[in-house]
Order: sequence, then structure tokens, then C-alpha cells
Amino acid sequence: MAATRDSALTRAFDNDWIGPGLVSLIAVVAISLAQPAFLSPFNIFVLMSAISVNMVIALGQLVIIGLGQMNLALGSIGGLVAISFVGVIERYGIPVPLALAFALGIGIAAGMSGGYIIARTMISAFIITLAGLQIFKGINLGITEAQPFYGVPEAVKAFGQASVIGPLPWLMVPMMICSVAMWYLFNRMRIGRHILAMGSNPHAAELSGIDANATIIWAHGISGLLAAIAGLMLVARLQIGQPTIGDDWLISSFAAPVIGGAVLTGGRVSVAGTFFGVVIIAIITQGLVMFNIDPFVVQIVLGALILWAVAVNRLREMRIARVQARGAGA
Amino acid sequence: MKMISKAAAALLLGTFVCVPALADEGTMVALVPGGPHPYFAAWEQAGADAKKEFGLGAADYRVPAKWELNLQSQLLESLLTQGYNSFLIFPGDAVGTTSVAQELVDNGAQVIATAGCLKDPSPALFCLGTDTGNSAYLGAKELIRAMGGKGKIAHFTGFLVDPNTQLRIDAVQKAADETNGAVEVVQVIADIDAPQPAEEKINAYLAANAAGVDGIITTAWVPAVVAANSLRKIGDKRIKMVGIDHDEVVIKAIADGFVDGTMLQNPYGQGFIGSYVLNRLRTGCTLKEDGPWKSNALTVRFVDSGTVFVDQATAPTYVNAMVGITADLLAGFEKDFLTCS
Amino acid sequence: MAHAGADNPIPPGSAPRRMSSGMRLLLGNEFGLAVLILLTVAVFALTLDGFTSPFSIYTIGRQIGIDTMIGLAMMAVIVTGGLDLSVGAIGVCSAMLFGWLMQVMGVPVPVAVPVAVLFGASLGFVNGFTVVMSGVHSFIITLASMSIFFGVMIFLTRAAAFNGLPPQVQAFGKMRVLPGISPLLLIAVAVCAALVVFYRYSTLGRQMLAAGANARAAELSGIRTGRVIVACHMLTGLLAAIAGLMVTARTGAAVPSMAGQLGQDWLLPAFLAPVLGGTLLSGGRVSVIGTLLGATFINIMTSGLLLMRVGEFWILAFLGVMLLIAVLADRTRQVFLTSRGMI
Repeated sequence: MAATRDSALTRAFDNDWIGPGLVSLIAVVAISLAQPAFLSPFNIFVLMSAISVNMVIALGQLVIIGLGQMNLALGSIGGLVAISFVGVIERYGIPVPLALAFALGIGIAAGMSGGYIIARTMISAFIITLAGLQIFKGINLGITEAQPFYGVPEAVKAFGQASVIGPLPWLMVPMMICSVAMWYLFNRMRIGRHILAMGSNPHAAELSGIDANATIIWAHGISGLLAAIAGLMLVARLQIGQPTIGDDWLISSFAAPVIGGAVLTGGRVSVAGTFFGVVIIAIITQGLVMFNIDPFVVQIVLGALILWAVAVNRLREMRIARVQARGAGA
Repeated sequence: MKMISKAAAALLLGTFVCVPALADEGTMVALVPGGPHPYFAAWEQAGADAKKEFGLGAADYRVPAKWELNLQSQLLESLLTQGYNSFLIFPGDAVGTTSVAQELVDNGAQVIATAGCLKDPSPALFCLGTDTGNSAYLGAKELIRAMGGKGKIAHFTGFLVDPNTQLRIDAVQKAADETNGAVEVVQVIADIDAPQPAEEKINAYLAANAAGVDGIITTAWVPAVVAANSLRKIGDKRIKMVGIDHDEVVIKAIADGFVDGTMLQNPYGQGFIGSYVLNRLRTGCTLKEDGPWKSNALTVRFVDSGTVFVDQATAPTYVNAMVGITADLLAGFEKDFLTCS
Repeated sequence: MAHAGADNPIPPGSAPRRMSSGMRLLLGNEFGLAVLILLTVAVFALTLDGFTSPFSIYTIGRQIGIDTMIGLAMMAVIVTGGLDLSVGAIGVCSAMLFGWLMQVMGVPVPVAVPVAVLFGASLGFVNGFTVVMSGVHSFIITLASMSIFFGVMIFLTRAAAFNGLPPQVQAFGKMRVLPGISPLLLIAVAVCAALVVFYRYSTLGRQMLAAGANARAAELSGIRTGRVIVACHMLTGLLAAIAGLMVTARTGAAVPSMAGQLGQDWLLPAFLAPVLGGTLLSGGRVSVIGTLLGATFINIMTSGLLLMRVGEFWILAFLGVMLLIAVLADRTRQVFLTSRGMI
């Protein structure tokens, strides 16, 4: 490959989100040629609703990936928040804004308490969030006995079904706010830089004066908040306080950031890349239904997609490393 | 939290937790579904009513915390240890649950496969459930009638690992075949008896194909709810739909005209009649070998717990419909299936 | 007896031992767990009717055997600081192959068992090879392979179970060696013994521990860490396959849903048992006996809580709290020992 360091094209390809972005674009064009209904307003609405929720879920994992850790409790926090929100409204008749604040508070508290234990004990986040997963899910099932709450207020239901303009759902609004906020956090705010610094080299980060404990606790708090927002968005979309919300978040929450170029050891994340990772997964899920493809094949395709993304990232990293080595040698 | 602190206190202080002695208290029925699902909620009341009505030692509804084969097995083993001697079990797997049922029977308990069957040969006395195939067939017939006898049908159904799913797919196909090509099943979407996948796939399907479909039949709880919501959302009353079960959302959609009707199953009757039969069998009755057993794809000893179609006119009083079929079945059960001394 | 290999993430032989071995045993994680198990059993036996009935002991023991095997499978890859989300998928795939060989191909049991176990090891090889070649964390690789293994299995079997296995298989699952003891528990104990010897005395076992404790140091001392990591994944696949066959024996059939969607139902016991037993997720230390004790503790607690009727739904939360308490207690113990200069 005759790549020179300064070529604009090469620099563009060094961006994490270009690859997944191109794949999304090609997929959209190809599918809409084969099946024109793909670009019908209602389908765009459906697709955007799915993308909105899954993007917020992926962002919740992305913060922790940036830190070089994992949050297995993401889905169970989202589920607990969802049923708490509908539960307090149904049982105690609490007004929606208050219930909203209460539910988001639960998410932040659940995330931060996990973060506190991780920071103070330095026990692997994997184990602490695994325990958190069981505890939050257990509390959820203990409260609901696995029966859904039906008392979702009409305003919330309307939010999940209404569109801002044309085929664009209201659910996009919280998703865009979260995405922009996370981009700002990672690129412009001190806490974001600290998270990434901790992720790429915790010792160096501490030596440079970063408060490791505070950074870890904040990151997990943000992750809990995002999980809570995603849980509430799902309540609006499903029109029901389902205890099973969050059960199937784990795989896609990792798949999207990784397809979008995040490095699991931490220190490197891309909000835009994650967005296109979410888009690719959503298009594939929908395409498989649209073309009536054997449901048994779906899992295989998803698994292969993750491997493909890993391979592409790996190749790109190796090339960047080579270019840098050449640059250093010159 | 109260439960946890109770358990913790028992552990730490070594205090005695009051567990009632369970020996020789008559028929102790446990109603055990495969995992939490709204369909089974009626079993709790059915057990409580049966206990009062027939003077049972217990008729308790005990749910595995998750849909895990292993959790259900552990719970069943524990219930046997706790002294339960009669079991109504929804098999978590038509084959995988056989060995734990066998274990219960080997230890002197009796088992009725309820709401779903075990695959023969099995240790269950018989299978008491909705004739799922027949229910789907009747539902499809109602749908075809509502569609005016012709058009294209989409079928949304439950998990592929559930043995009932294939029966339902075949039954809907059969109803369509009987129209000699006037009605066609254009797509079957399975594995969507969970809210998020159901929402994504059903909406995706309707988005692309709403114009090409004249009728929808759903044969699992969650898809019925989601499809009803979707039709309400796109405001479509052209597409006919027949749902299943009695979720609030579905009943309301019927009242508002977005859904044409639903096939009620009879979970309450399953729990109530099952408890009754188990008690009679422990107190001097035996099953008639030559009773009018039906057979389905899994077993040759099947009893239909009844199914009934409700439409806009009957939806508000659907509870009466369920009570009615339960009373009928109960009245005839002893004469048809039991030999009592 | 308790520890196999190094006690902490320091390569064997490099740390001076200041404690007597008796002292070390008393302060070890396994000792605390064993005391806790004895206490719990005593309390349950006194307060809960039926806890000590032969049937209850038999079923608890059998479940301990299966959970221990699942835990050991995960432990074998945690040694190097990796993990394997596909243990459940490998276990189910091996079990389904086992069922297919016997029911469809008519292969006799003594041949089908080793073939299925080796198949598990080869799936582990695929994982390990991909991890080493790509340099990507095993979490992501096995996340993908979990989907692929399980997806291919479901595609090939169309989710249908094999329930026409030779009668010996089911008989084995129901057998009682002594009153109240399942052969499945004995298999697990035998595998534990073999692994203790393997990690302590075999070259490969020691290399696994060294590579996990400090990969660079191991590399410098001539260990080919890539190969060792592949071997760890193969061992995981092998043990997961054994666990799959044990579940098949208990169920009397090879059932695709036996470990849930994608085999995810196994993940909790897979991590709980080794972690409660004191295996470090960062690698370099294993505790085979600890894993056995961890699985024992979980099952005794679960069984006791079920008998106590605290409500099935609260058991999940309770297990989560137990895990949290266990890791915090272990951390406190280490901090205490470090402050006293005992480690």
C-alpha cells in the first residue's frame, strides 16, 4: 500500500467512523434498491426508533469501555429503572416529572455505587458489575414477580409513538442529546479526557495527577444514567413496564462500539463510529426480517459481523503503527 | 428486601425459620410454570380457589425466577423435598423436563403436564392444555372469515424451542390450504415472544409489507400485544387481526376496532381442574385407559382445556367465557376420564 | 492441599515465604469458605425439614458436580487473565454432537464420549487460536464465537432434541454410587484432583500459571505464551464439553435449550464458582479446590433458600449479594495480610 502520511484520503481513513459509515451507506443503498419499501416513512420511523434506543445503550457501555473496563450490569440497571418508573406512577400516583427524576436517580446511584466499590477496592469491574447484574435483576424480579406494570401515562406513551417531523421519531431527541453530550464529554471536557487517559494507561494517568477514584466513579455514574435513559425510552416505545427490559442488551452494547472502532482495553472510543455500529446492526436485523431469511441464521450473521469488525480494526491499527514507525524513522 | 433480611437473620443468628411440617397433609399441589410469563398469572388464583373448594393441603403457584431449564429442575426437586406430592408442570422443554418429572414420579409424586405437553414416552399422567393446533386453526378460520375468504396472512408466533410453535405454524397453514389458494400465508415470524425483538421485527415487517397483507394472526402473548399496538399506531383498520390470550392491550384494541378478536386460552381452568384431578387421583380414583383421550404431535393422552373466540361484542365479558368453559370441562371430567371407587 | 500453584500473582519461587504452611492454610480463602459451608449446612440441617433427606442430598450433590465442572472450564482460561463467554455454547454443541453420534450414527457410548470431548477441545482451539493471532481480548472473540457456535448448532439441528439415546446414558445420570451420591459429583471431584496435579506438577500447567502471572517475564524465561494461551482455551473447551455431557446424562437427552439462548445460562455459575473460590480474574492464580467449594456453597445456599421459601425471585439478588460479600471479604483479608507483612 503506497500510503503517504499526509494524503488527505489516508487521514480520512484513519478516522474510526469512516469504515462503518461507508458500510452503513452501502447497505442502505443496496437494500432500498432491492426493497423500495425500506425507505418508506413508516419504515424509517421504525428503524430510527430502534437505532435511538440502541445508541443510548451502546453509549452507556462506551464510557466504561473508554475506561478500559466492562459494565455487565448495564441491562439490569436499565430494567430496574424502567419498572421503578412505571411502578411508582402506577402504585403511588406520583407525577411523571417526579417519577422521571426518581428513575434517573436510581440509574445514577446504581452506577455510582458499583463505581465506588470498584474504585475503592480495585476489584475487577467485571466481577463487581456481575454481582450488580444479579442484584439489580433480582430486585427487579422481587418487586414485579415478573409481571409487567401497565400504568404507563398517556404522555409517555405518546412520546414513544410520536414523530418530531415527518418520519423522525421523538425518541431521536434524547438519543441526539446523549450523543452530542458524550462527544463533548470525550473531546472537550476534563472528565472525558481523564477517563480516556485512565483507559490507555492508568499508572501514567495517576502519576500525572488524575484522581483515579473520582474518574472511575463518575464514569460508572454516567453509564448508569445512560442505561436509565435507555430503559425509559424503551418504556415509551413498548408502552409497558416490562421486567425483561435490558435482558438482551449485553451483546449489542459491546458489538456496536467495537464495530465502531473502540478498543476494548480502553483509551480509545468513537461516538460517531458507535453510531454507525448501531446503524449496521439495526439494518441487518431488519434486513433479515424484510427478506424473510431463516431466523436460525441470524445469530451466525451477528457473530461473524463482530469478528469482521475486529479484523478490520486490527488491520487498520497495524497499518497506522507501520506508518508511525516509518514516520519516526524518517 | 424483607425476605432477604429474614433469610439473613436466620443464617446469622441461627434462629429457627418457621417452615411448616408438610407430612401427611393430604394433597399438596404445586403449580410450576417454566418461568415467569403473564399467561400463568391466573394459576395463582386457580390454585387458591381449588384449595378452598376441594379442601387440599396446599395448591401453591411457584415460579422459577427465569426461563432456565436448570432453575425449574432445581425448584421442582426442592418442592418434592418440601413435601409436595402433586405437580402441575409446564415443561420448560418437551424433552428436557422428562427426566426431572420421572424423578418426581419415582419418589411417589404425580405429575400432569399442564399448558404444554411432554413428548411421549413420559411419566406424566396426561397432558392438560390448550389444543394449540386446534386453537390456531380456529383462530385462522375466524380471521379468514373476517377477511372475506381471501387475501394474504402474516403469522407472528413464539419461540422455536417451544414445542407448541411448530403445531401452530402447521395449523394456520392448514386453514389457509383449505381455501384452495384464495388465502395464502405469506410470512411466518417466530422467536419473538419477548418485547424488544417483537417490537423491532413486527414493526419492520409492517413497515415494508403493510400494503401487501390483509390479515394478521398471532399465536403467542407478546406478539399479540405488539401487533395490536402497531395497528393502533398506524391507525389501520383494513388489516384484519386475530390475537391470542387476554392481555389488557389486546382486549382494548378489540373494543376499539383495531383487532377483530382473540383466541382465549384457559389458564385458570388448567390450574383449577388440574388441582381437582390430582386430588381425586390421590383419594381413590384412577384414570380410565379408554377415556376419550385426544392426541397431538407430542402425546396420545391429551385433554383439551378449551379455547374460545371472543370478538368486539363479547370482549368486555371475556371472563365469563373462561369461567363457562371451565365449568363445562369440570362437570364432565369424572364421568369421562376417572374410575372412582 | 488447598492451593494449586502460586498463591499470588508472583511467579513461583520468587517470593520468600515467611509463613508456616499451617498458618497459610488457616488464612487461605478456601479455609474460610469451608468453614462457611460447614456453618451453613449445620444451620440448614437444624432448621429446615428435608434438607438432609437422601433425595435432597443426592440432587444437591449432582448439581454441585455440574456447576463445579462449568466453573473449572472458566477457571482454566481465567488463569491467563482471559475469559470465555462461549463455555455454554461449547458445552451445548458438544452435547448435541454426542447425541447425534449415538442416535443418528449409531456410534457406541465409549466412542461418542471421547469424540464429543475432543470436539469441545477443538472449539476451544478455535477460540484460542483466534485470540492469539488477532491480539484482541478474548471477551470480544468469544462473544462472537458464542453467537457463531450456537447459531450453527441451532441451524443444523433445527432446535430439535435427541431423546433416543442409549439407556446407559440416562441410567448413569440417575445412578447412585452410594446412597445419596451421584457419579456426576464423583467425576467432578476426580477432575479436580487431576487438575490439582496438572497445575502443580506438569510443565504445561506451571507454564499456564507463569504466563498468567506475568506474560513478559514468562516470555523472557523461554515460555511460548501464545501456545500456552491456546492450550488454556483448549482445556476450557474440553472441560465445558465434559460439563455438557454431564447435563446430557442428567437430562437423559441432548437438548439445545439446556444452557439457554446462546448458552448464556452457564455464565453465572461459570464465574461465581471460581471467583468465590479465590481465582483472580487478572490471572496467575487458580484455586481448583476453591472452585469446588464455591460451587458447593452456591448450591447449598440456593437449596436452603428454596426450602426456606424466601421467594424464588429474591434468590437471584441474594446470590449477587453473596458474590459481592465474598470478593469484599477476600479483599479485606488480603489487605489485612499485606499490612501484617504476611504476604
